[in-house]
Formats: sequence, structure tokens, C-alpha cells
Amino acid sequence: MFDPTAVAVVGASQTEGKVGYEAMVNAAEFDGPAYPVNPSGSGTMFGEPFVDSVADVDDAVDLALLCLPGPAVPEVLDECGAAGVGAAVIYASGFAEAGEEGEQLQATVVERANEHGIALLGPNTSGFVVPETSLLCSFASGVDEIPTGNTAVVAQSGGVALVLAFQTRRQGRGVSATVGLGNRANVGFVEAIEYFDGHEGTDAIVLHVEGTDDGRALLETCRNVDTPVVAYKVGQSDVGEFAASHTGALTGDHALYEAGFAQYGVPTVDATDHLLDAAAALGDSPIPDGPNVGVVTAQAGPGIIITDRIQRAGGVLPELTAETRDRVGEILPGITYADNPVDTGRPMPAFGEVVTAVAEDDNVDIVLVYELFEQALGFPVEELDGLAERVDKPVLFATEGIEADLAEDRAALEEAGVPVFETPERAAQAAAVLARYARFHAAGVDAEVSADV
Amino acid sequence: MSDQIAAARADGRQTLTEAEGKRLLADAGVAVPSFEVCASADAAVEAAEAIGFPVVVKVSSPAVTHKSEWADGAGVAVGLDSPAAVADAATRIFEAAAERGVDAEVLVEQAQDVDAGTEVIVGGLRDPSFGPVVLTGLGGVFTEVFEDTSHRLAPVDRREARAAIEELQAARLLEGYRGSDPVDVDALAAVVEAVGDLVTEHSIAELDVNPVLATADGAVALDALVVLEDGA
Repeated sequence: MFDPTAVAVVGASQTEGKVGYEAMVNAAEFDGPAYPVNPSGSGTMFGEPFVDSVADVDDAVDLALLCLPGPAVPEVLDECGAAGVGAAVIYASGFAEAGEEGEQLQATVVERANEHGIALLGPNTSGFVVPETSLLCSFASGVDEIPTGNTAVVAQSGGVALVLAFQTRRQGRGVSATVGLGNRANVGFVEAIEYFDGHEGTDAIVLHVEGTDDGRALLETCRNVDTPVVAYKVGQSDVGEFAASHTGALTGDHALYEAGFAQYGVPTVDATDHLLDAAAALGDSPIPDGPNVGVVTAQAGPGIIITDRIQRAGGVLPELTAETRDRVGEILPGITYADNPVDTGRPMPAFGEVVTAVAEDDNVDIVLVYELFEQALGFPVEELDGLAERVDKPVLFATEGIEADLAEDRAALEEAGVPVFETPERAAQAAAVLARYARFHAAGVDAEVSADV
Repeated sequence: MSDQIAAARADGRQTLTEAEGKRLLADAGVAVPSFEVCASADAAVEAAEAIGFPVVVKVSSPAVTHKSEWADGAGVAVGLDSPAAVADAATRIFEAAAERGVDAEVLVEQAQDVDAGTEVIVGGLRDPSFGPVVLTGLGGVFTEVFEDTSHRLAPVDRREARAAIEELQAARLLEGYRGSDPVDVDALAAVVEAVGDLVTEHSIAELDVNPVLATADGAVALDALVVLEDGA
């Protein structure tokens, strides 16, 4: 599905605005060949001639993008099966989400796909995008601009998959892939998570979850994979019938997801930007040993916001060792506040040395640095480059200033593998996710839930 | 299959009686008050004398699940401290059952001083998406009004069960409040663990232990409602 050699766009169209047109335009960006398939098509698109059926393509097509109305899908799947196509995306809606008739159609489609051994993404999805190979299996415009990153986005909704992917672009981060599962015909969370766990370019997996009929399998998959997973479960306000003091009624779906994710080692967040921030922190950093955050700030106010936020979100601000306090005191005699957070009062040439001292503190598992950009000083890129690897702890950085002025230094930090955040709150939330992740995994979450259920 | 569940299945019942539910819990290591199921008022008096006064007398019948609302309140009589009081309460139950054509016995049970502890709800259920789940909450307003409950996917070990209790907003009440002794949280966690195991291991759709009386000395299940899965 996510790593094909040749793609066919079934229902490709030369009429602008049609799904079959947009999908073909995007598919043509692929590093491999993309073939237009449509019995009523004529001529060529992007240099490839129209053919009537997938079977008529003179190449080993292994992914078909089905830009067809729902009722036409079963027959085309048979053609795909006969042609040896192993994966297909169904964009159309009108399946299980649309009443009894749609449910029946989806059942038929799944049955045919399973018969032919075809992995199905969708129906009712915007598809998926793998920027690294320009594999743009989506009819949405602008997906060619989504940069390559190391976070895999697995969203239940095709729309949210795009929301998250476009957001990563604006954040300068990108995705290894963004996938909208839609109706999850036979590719669901479990299959997608397992795939991206084994995907070399993916260092973190983020989930957008509305609800699934096998929550336990999702959780068990999350526990069994090595790649860090963060989840955003939507639907807190839908708590079911809370009226009676009765176990069945008290057990809202959302509560079970939240409790289950925590129990199975998956930190949860409640916003799309927090989800991506968490992925950036987890994907770009060593896994912390514990929830203790050492904060270094060049300005007191943002440091106070960060301190407050981290503690409310499950992180801990430990006391620094006497050795670290002495060290910081030697670097900066008369320092404003030399415990945790360490407040240097303003940016200064020795700022990076202070960060190093805190990062090397044995009481600290996670380092968070806040510094407003100061043109004359820049960021302490040299000090921070390689620091996280050396101390084997995450080092996060948050800043504010004029984008153009700080762009070069920011890029240098990111190049050095330091996740950069734009507000004190978002940096603090990300640090707190690291803290929660460390707590879950230090507690031996992998061993705690017996596997024989 | 446990004897209690087998008995209910053999009768074609999906709901266990309180006595069956408590035996199921007791077999799983959960403390329950001493009790006996009796078929006559005389037997009830004898049982009460053996258990020791005061006792509680309740209707025991597969046909009656809401005991305290049954027969204008005749279904549950508390604080009975004499043979005569037990005989009266049992007789009322047998008469009410006869009037209603219900096949009933009476459950005679050692009375518990509920003021000496904190009432906790422990529930287990089989969720269609998550499978066996265990719920913990403090009794009364904490659960009903504040929705202060915590959930875990079952089975849980003792540490996870303790964490489920400790994350309740009202958990501080268990630590001792206005001079009361701290509750034996480990004993309570053992109940959470046992309920999780029961719902995992048996064909139980829902298991409500409401309440568990948690005291400094332990945790006792004061009631048990067990609903089995369809068919199975």
C-alpha cells in the first residue's frame, strides 16, 4: 500500500475538479509510474495513455486508486484481483457510514478484497500521502507541498489526516506519511501502526481516534510496537448515559480510551498541535528515564508558565543537585534563580553552558530551554548540538521573536535534532508528554497487562 | 465455569442471586459478610443465632433483583437484633413472595457498621470494544454526581488496581478524614483485582459490587449483582 512500484488511477478524468482528475494530477507526482484507467477516457494524461481496465496496464501495478462511485467498486476490485494488484484506496463515501445499504456494500467490498488478498484503505477517505516518494494518493490540493518528516500520521478521518499534515508543513516538520483510515474496511489502526512501526523513516506515530470497534486490539498493538505512539481521542463530551449509578452506564467510551491508552503506555493529548508537538519531542529525542524536567529560561515569565504547565500535565520539576547549583553559580555569579527553573534573567553568552550544566544533572530526565531570540547572541546552537545524545536525555527548545531574524538559528537547532516549539505552553505540553511516556514505560507497562486475554 | 454460574445457567437464568454472587466473590478471595440462605422463618432465626446479632434479612430469589424496592420495602430488613425481629422479617418476605407467586428464600446476613468505613463501588463489565473492564468509584454522590470513577482494562494486577483507586478525586477520603482511620487500600485493590479477574475469566456481562465497605481492617462486599452474557 504505502510502498508501491506502480500506481493505477481507476476513474481518472481529464475534467478539472473531478476526484478522478485531482487524484491523477497528484498521482503523477509519484517517483514511479502512474497510469490512468477509464474506459471512457481517451488520449493520455501525463504521458500515459488511458486504458480500459487495470488488467490492460502493461506494468505490474500494485496500488489502485479507485475514483469511482461506491456501487462500481466491487467489480473493479475483481479486475484488480485478476491483475494481481495488492492494494487499493476507495475514496467514495456511501458505505458503512451511510446506513444499511452502505453497510452491505462495504461488506461486499471487504469480502471481494479479502478473496483477492487486496489491502483496502477507506472507503470514505481522502487517502494517504508519502512525501518522501511523492506518493500522493489523495485528491486534495496542496498535498505535494507536504514535506518529509519522521512522524507518521494515522487518522481515523481523512480530513484530519490532511489537517495534521498541513500543520506539520507550517511547523517546518513534515510527515513520513499521513493516512486517513476512513471506514477501515480491512486496513485499520492495527495494520497501519504495525506498518509504520517497521518503516525506517518513521520515529513517532500519532493517532487520531474517534472510536473503533476493537479498542483492545488497538491498545495491544500500541503496546507491542517499539515506535513511540501518541493519541488524540476525540469525543470527550459524548459520555453516554451517566444518569444511573450503574457500571454499564458509567463506562463512557472516552473514559475507556483514555484509561486504556494510559494503561498500555500511550500518552494522550487533546489538540492537533499538541499531538504533533508530542510526536516531534518523542520522535527526535532519546527516550527519557523519568518524568523529571529541568527548565532553563532566559526570561522569568515564560519560565513560570512552563513550570506551571508541566506540573499540571504530569511532569515533575526536581531540585537540582548541589553540584549543579554550584556550577551554575560559578558560570553566572549573582544569577537570578539557580534552582529549577534556572532563570538567567536574559540571554547571555554563557546561556548554553548553563543548559549543559542542567542537562548533566542526575536529577534531570528531560531538559526544556526557553529563550527569546536576541539578535546579537543567537541561539546556543554549538552547545546544544549533540547534547541530547551525549546526556541521553531529550532537550527541547522554545522561543519567540521575528521569524526572519531567527530562521537561520532555528534551522540550525532543528538540523542538530533539537525540537523547537513556538509557545511556552506547547513546549511545556510536549515535555509533559515525554514525562508521562517515561512514567508509563519506566513502570514496566509492557509487563503489567497480562498478554493472555 | 464456577458452580454459581453453572447453577444459574442450568436454570436458564442470566442473573445470579445475591447469595450466588457473594459466593462467587468469596471463591475469588473477596471478603463477604457471613450469610446463610434459609427456606423458612425458623431456619432464618437459627441462622441468625449462629451468625450473631444484629443481622440483615433480605429476599433471595432469582425473580427479585431490586430487593429494597420489592414488596413495599419488605425485601430488606436491617438492624435485626432479636430472634423475634428476624422471624417477623422473614415471615413478611415469605408472605409477600406467596402473594406475588414468587419462589423465594431469605438471606440472613451479618450486619455491617457502614459508618465505620467508606462505601466504594467496584464494577466489572465486558465492553464490546475493549473486552473485560473494571471500574472503581466512591459510593453515593461521588459516583452519581461528580462522575468520579476510574477505569482499567482487565485483568489488572495489584499495582494497577491501586493506581485505579488512587487516581480518584475522592481518594483522599480513603487516607483518613476528620479523624477516621485510613482505609486498607491494598485490601480494596485486591477486590478491584478480583472483580477484573472474574469478568475476564467467566462469561460475565456485568458484575456490580455496590457497595464494597472499605475500612481500616479490610474491604467487604456488601452486595453483588452478577449478570451473565447472553447464551454462552
